[in-house]
Amino acid sequence: MALFEAIHLHKRFGDQVVLEDISLTFEAGQLSGIMGPNGAGKSTCFNVLTGHYKPNAGKVMFEGKDITGLPPRVIAGMGIARSFQLMNLFDEFTVIENILVALPESVAKSFNIGHDIMGNSSATDRAADVLAKVGLTGRELELAGNLPYGERRALEIGVALASEPRLLFLDEPTQGLGADGTARLEELIGELKKTYSIVIIEHDMKFLFGLADTISVIHWGQVIAQGSPDQLRDNEWVRASKIGDAA
Amino acid sequence: MTTPTQAPMLEVKGLKKIYQRGFIKRQETFRLEADFTIDKPQVVGVMGPNGSGKTTMFELITGSNQPTAGEVLCAGQNIHNVKYRQRDRLAIHYHQSYQVRHFSKTKPSFLMENPVSDYPMIHLFDEPQFNTQDGYIGFMLEFFKKLRAEGRLVFLCVHPNEPFHTKIMREACDQYIFVQKGSVSRAGTYDELLEVDGVRDYLGALAAY
Repeated sequence: MALFEAIHLHKRFGDQVVLEDISLTFEAGQLSGIMGPNGAGKSTCFNVLTGHYKPNAGKVMFEGKDITGLPPRVIAGMGIARSFQLMNLFDEFTVIENILVALPESVAKSFNIGHDIMGNSSATDRAADVLAKVGLTGRELELAGNLPYGERRALEIGVALASEPRLLFLDEPTQGLGADGTARLEELIGELKKTYSIVIIEHDMKFLFGLADTISVIHWGQVIAQGSPDQLRDNEWVRASKIGDAA
Repeated sequence: MTTPTQAPMLEVKGLKKIYQRGFIKRQETFRLEADFTIDKPQVVGVMGPNGSGKTTMFELITGSNQPTAGEVLCAGQNIHNVKYRQRDRLAIHYHQSYQVRHFSKTKPSFLMENPVSDYPMIHLFDEPQFNTQDGYIGFMLEFFKKLRAEGRLVFLCVHPNEPFHTKIMREACDQYIFVQKGSVSRAGTYDELLEVDGVRDYLGALAAY
């Protein structure tokens, strides 16, 4: 059984077809990539997969359960975490507080977080573990708003990891990062993929070709190509392009 | 899934679209005429100068523009009799990356038919953005072949201004349509297309590729 499956998804906004018969499968332990040009329907697809939009037709399955149309918080509670294209951090909180509030026990208590949980040493230990995973050890007490952009991106991934997800969705993680930042992020995700099942939506093809086990190419709201990076490169035009060079 | 058979993929019968100007003294400003049949799933290359009527032809085929005369049968069904919102189950039109959806509505949808298909039979790709750097060309061309193999009809409209555009047209298409000043010519191969009146002028130096 696949970890996550999208089956014949259709999504329209009014008269406009945005997703036309999209089927995707993400396997446990793999890094699956979704790429496509601007306006291809990537973000809509992502929002349907994570419950932010309801499809007009088709099904979304996670660990064999039908999760189509469930609200995002229910889907998140089932073990799917996502990051957003635009960052989603508490800038006035410290780095470690951002992680602490995302730990499952803080989410369960919802109010009265912060000071209370800072005194909980098992929680702070686990938050420190998460920060180590995303390379932010030593930055615990920095305000999130003061971090450089690349570290904010890493912290955002840390926030997603704090919920102990069984599947992690990342929406355009290289957005706004320069070449250095992208290289560091590639290294970080390369580490994380050893322990997590990950889905990444990206338009940076080189980045995705370097990391993914399988890639689905979306254009015109449809899956126009699917396969491993090597299978996708097996084409004269692709070999001649910049992703061909990366081979 | 309903899959209509028997009928040709696309019949364009005595199709005319005439644009006029003036209220008292009507003056014709543009006329498109087309009459052709495509029986089988294929990739059809479409070329023609700006303003020649390519987009009008696509709009008439997808039912987003009302013809002055004639009809368009997609898999045997007159697309102009199908409920507006469901016409994309027969033919779907993408300009660059986006679906084109503008209907000139002439009667209420409840008086109209349901489509005979539940997936688009005809895909029209109007000037997809091709860029040799990013590799998407390879994925797109494979996708056109896949659609054809699944029994669909693909129109690929390209306005060549670089040698690789003519290479794409030569390699990806099974037959060709050239639209010029509102009239439609067909060619079975790329070399035949080059012999169609006006094509060499249109392509200029690119005719050599």
